[in-house]
Amino acid sequence: MSKTNHPPKNPVRYEPRIPSVGSDPREAPGEVDEPAEKIWFRDLDEAVIEAGRCVQCASCVAACPSDSIGIDEEEGRPTLVRMCTGCSSCWDYCPRSGLRYESLVERVRAERGLETPSVYAARAKRAETRVAGQDGGVVTELLATLLDRSELDGALVAREDPDRPLRGVATIATSGETLREAGGSVYNQTMGLGQIDALLEEHSLEDPALAVVGTPCVIQGATALERYDHDSASPFALTVALMCTRSFEYDRLVGQLSAFGVDPASVESIDVTDGVLSAHDADGEPLLEEPVSAFSASGLRGCDECADFLGEAADLSAGSVGSDDGQTTFVVQTERGERAWELASSALEYAELDNTESMEGLASWNEQRAKRLLEREYDPNGPVGIDRSEHIEAYEHTEREPRPLNPARVHQYEEWC
Amino acid sequence: MTRFGIVSPEWPTQYRSDVTVIDVRERHDFIEIGHIPGARNIPYDSFRDSGSGSAGKLPIRADFEELLGEAGIGPDDDILAYDGENGVYAARFLLTADVFGHGGRLRLLDGGFESWRTVAETETGTVEHEPTDYRANSPEETRTPIVEREDVEAAVEDDTILLDTRTPTEYNQAHIPSAVQLGWESLLSDGRLRPEAEIKQLLEEREITRDRRIILYCNTARRLSHTYVVLKHLGFERVEFYEKSLTDWIRQESPTWDPEGTAAIIREYAESGGDVVRAELGDDVSGRLKLVGIYGTKHDGYYMLRTKIPGGQLTGEQAHTIADVAHEFARAPEAYGGNQQNPIFGDVYLDVTTRQDIQMHWIELEDIPEIWDRYEAVGLTTMQACGNSVRNVVCCPADGLGAAPMETDDLADEITDRFLLDEYYANMPRKFKVSVTGCHENCARAQINDIGFLPARKDGRLGFHVLVGGGLSDGPRAASDLDVFIERKQVIPLVEAVADVFMRQGNYLDIAANRLRFLVEAMGITQFREEVQRRFPFEFESAGEELTTSYRGDHVGVHEQTDGNRYVGLNVPTGRLLAGEFRTLVSLSEEYGDGEVRLTLNQNVLLPHIPPESVDELLAEPLLETYRPNPGPFERGIVTCTGSEFCTYGIIETKTRGLRWARELDAQIAASDEIDESDLPEAIRIHMSGCSASCAQPQIGDFGLRGERYRDDTEEVPAADVGLGGDLERGEFIDWIAGSLPIDDVPDAIRRSVRCYARERNADESFGDWTRRQSFDRLRALLYGETVRPKQQTEVS
Repeated sequence: MSKTNHPPKNPVRYEPRIPSVGSDPREAPGEVDEPAEKIWFRDLDEAVIEAGRCVQCASCVAACPSDSIGIDEEEGRPTLVRMCTGCSSCWDYCPRSGLRYESLVERVRAERGLETPSVYAARAKRAETRVAGQDGGVVTELLATLLDRSELDGALVAREDPDRPLRGVATIATSGETLREAGGSVYNQTMGLGQIDALLEEHSLEDPALAVVGTPCVIQGATALERYDHDSASPFALTVALMCTRSFEYDRLVGQLSAFGVDPASVESIDVTDGVLSAHDADGEPLLEEPVSAFSASGLRGCDECADFLGEAADLSAGSVGSDDGQTTFVVQTERGERAWELASSALEYAELDNTESMEGLASWNEQRAKRLLEREYDPNGPVGIDRSEHIEAYEHTEREPRPLNPARVHQYEEWC
Repeated sequence: MTRFGIVSPEWPTQYRSDVTVIDVRERHDFIEIGHIPGARNIPYDSFRDSGSGSAGKLPIRADFEELLGEAGIGPDDDILAYDGENGVYAARFLLTADVFGHGGRLRLLDGGFESWRTVAETETGTVEHEPTDYRANSPEETRTPIVEREDVEAAVEDDTILLDTRTPTEYNQAHIPSAVQLGWESLLSDGRLRPEAEIKQLLEEREITRDRRIILYCNTARRLSHTYVVLKHLGFERVEFYEKSLTDWIRQESPTWDPEGTAAIIREYAESGGDVVRAELGDDVSGRLKLVGIYGTKHDGYYMLRTKIPGGQLTGEQAHTIADVAHEFARAPEAYGGNQQNPIFGDVYLDVTTRQDIQMHWIELEDIPEIWDRYEAVGLTTMQACGNSVRNVVCCPADGLGAAPMETDDLADEITDRFLLDEYYANMPRKFKVSVTGCHENCARAQINDIGFLPARKDGRLGFHVLVGGGLSDGPRAASDLDVFIERKQVIPLVEAVADVFMRQGNYLDIAANRLRFLVEAMGITQFREEVQRRFPFEFESAGEELTTSYRGDHVGVHEQTDGNRYVGLNVPTGRLLAGEFRTLVSLSEEYGDGEVRLTLNQNVLLPHIPPESVDELLAEPLLETYRPNPGPFERGIVTCTGSEFCTYGIIETKTRGLRWARELDAQIAASDEIDESDLPEAIRIHMSGCSASCAQPQIGDFGLRGERYRDDTEEVPAADVGLGGDLERGEFIDWIAGSLPIDDVPDAIRRSVRCYARERNADESFGDWTRRQSFDRLRALLYGETVRPKQQTEVS
């Protein structure tokens, strides 16, 4: 018997691995060559989330077939919550990595788009909706009407968090009444696309017809999922894009408003027009007017890379630009959108918008910005998919290059059988 | 004047000759990239030591003295330490020197080497210096800043500040109660220390003041070192640290999971329904259920039950019980298709696994106590069939039947019994797989287990050699040879010793990388052996004569036992069979043999003890037309996991697909003139896993498949990564050759590959050997075929 208590001669020298891009701790002992383009959530995490490019559209959460991706409430970003099986879906549906969104948009327009989209300036007939919603409450009223007529069973929208002014949270409205209550605008991403299953469960909705309302990136993800017959997209019956040049990170936005002496709770609406960000209170009185560049620190950096101001993959697109105050500029882009418009436009006051110059101007400005800041080639005729190697090649050695995974996040891998 | 200081990059230009400069970067960087002229190199790795008897990651005193003596440092030298950039590694050195009572002042170079090189010259190469006889005051002789767990527990309650020096994300995930967070990196800006006023503000915001006692921690006592030096530099006196840090805290705080306690709750509340049971089990329901053999599936409220069968050996009575339980409880509800649930089997089936377990589906928690009662009556269990515990011990399924160096004589049972219901060993960092082989054909696949025992002889005695740290999943590793010979009576102490090392030094924090193989890999086998020896009550003998001669893939067919009887290995493609069929099998064993049924690691079954004169009659039984002793090569070789039919991870369906493929491939080969069946081996092993978790062991198949998705410009379809050439006899795992091959293209890819192999093989050349002399491009082209191109070449449609 020699159960020695002497310390070993060769002390163990091992440390938690310092993460580097492309390395997974589980591959450390690796004795097996991986396929060249194997994608794990880790790759998305490095290329998009850790790189500060995530636009919080939650397409990855919706795309993951094993529900391995959840939402980190604290940081408002996707995170691994159980084992990643390496199926690459998160990457394939992310408009900041594997989804060449401009190619998707181009294809969807060719496949489903109207030859000539109709453009309207509209507002809700109901005064209450106009007041509650933004810019005439058109999206609210249109969807509410469709819900009331049972053309839709639910609408995935944002509503304001009662406890946190201006902060949006995802909700599914199942009646016109609840939707009209949710009306209004918020300025952060709610990641609703990643919460559909849970929200549907709340309402015990089975096999519902669902409208998805979101920023163009949300619509890109949703449309891609729908185009590829993804299970998660089976409820989608209508997509509505909210025109957007940039989304904000809630805490930072509120912090900056406060820094300008504006009480976030008093803010009723925020608009960005011609490079100026303005905030108004409930009576329409201006609270703030500053160059939007002053708020760049509040914006999601990944938004810079998006050229899709209108959300052209959507059935319908809505925004304030180009219409008078109190009205919404409304674009009907597909046959499905046209049908929705026909069924619900009786609840609206509208006129065709002849002068679309300012809308197109903003879209063009947005597109130019994206083309300038996108590290890869902007290529509407390219393949829908972007491989990891193609992404890395374009982004390596730029400010937007992949960053190593935060070691804390490694702990989130769950055990499996 | 404080003992600690942080100085600017310019400082050494003036004061370099007054201090001993220590560079803690890697040796290579020190020599090749350069260093501050005259600096001594003490690489960071050399003074971190988690295997020593000292607290946490500190080295032992003698090693530290030797290290500093070799570097020519005097005990009262003023030291200036630096690392590459941000100072955390150099700070670790200063902290270590402080703990051991270094006499001189301890300074940290702000901005490290990167900043220095921008302001002053560097030199490359080594630095000559005279060694010294360095003597440190040991921690016992100085007032040590190290605190132990008890101090931290007290600090949680009193007004001591527990300071978490990790990131907010990490803090939010887990921290010690009452701790405040201030990440070490937030004290830096661009690799340099922030201005003092800013740091003071960060401290004030957290009410960290000089008069309060401060205890620092992080995960592994690296990051806290930096904060320690900064606080000391700022004149904080009452700074201490929890060297074992959160790693230790979490290990101690982790609720221990008690299989018996969990079973008791299930028994108590089962009558009230599954929801009540789940509520009573509280947090981590799914983890707790796994520990007693119950897996959640993608169908809420319906579970998979894994029955643990050591060595795969079932008595007739046990086998009947399993058949009865499956018949009664493995019934699919109407909402999921009832008896039409599975297109081939309907429902009421069971699956033989690659660890000689049996898995049943559609089990409800309400029925578990009844199942356990019946199991207990015949000596079956589901306890610790899953979870972070000793899993089913696998063994050669023909153990004791054939000519073999030794019988293991129920060793699998003994090991199982040792750990069964042992609460301590039910709380390992991760699962723990043990394999025991007595025969000379490595039938229990030692290389892919956490511990594998293989037969050996030394000085005329029979015993075992031991492999440690193997496994597959998504980071496969072949086990390392521990280079020991142990006798049979030493097997259980050895498993205990290895388990103890695993529990003491394995990683509870990082569950992505905490199987034993990661520990073995990190330590190196020599060090690991020493660690095991310290906990093993016998002196290790070095290895003797290896008795393993070859690797046997399976046990299909009729084989002679040493007693003159026969054992008949029956092929169960994908391991799935109906409960009724299983019952018939048991009856056949009772009629022709002694009722015993054995399960193999190829998901097959084996009927032992058949008298030679009864063999023909047995072979003529109708059931043996389905589960044959002489199947085609694909049916014989197919192995699959549970797949997406039940598993929440599964990306593709595997069981039905695997069976269908195997039958079709066999039929096509039989019908075709292209391949002469005599050119093929008895088994072509397709191992199909539904995802990357390797439950079907794809890495050891001729063809390894793992579920994927394939998307191009127009469609998305299920797919698989395909690898070729796994071969345990050669110690080869597959290489993944083709990524995301659409699943419907895979059978053609397999056929193409097998056709070329059959045409081109040398005499007796295995499929794996053939693949190894093919170029990667050729294999890739064979798999993708001429019509299907890899995804990256997809053109715009």
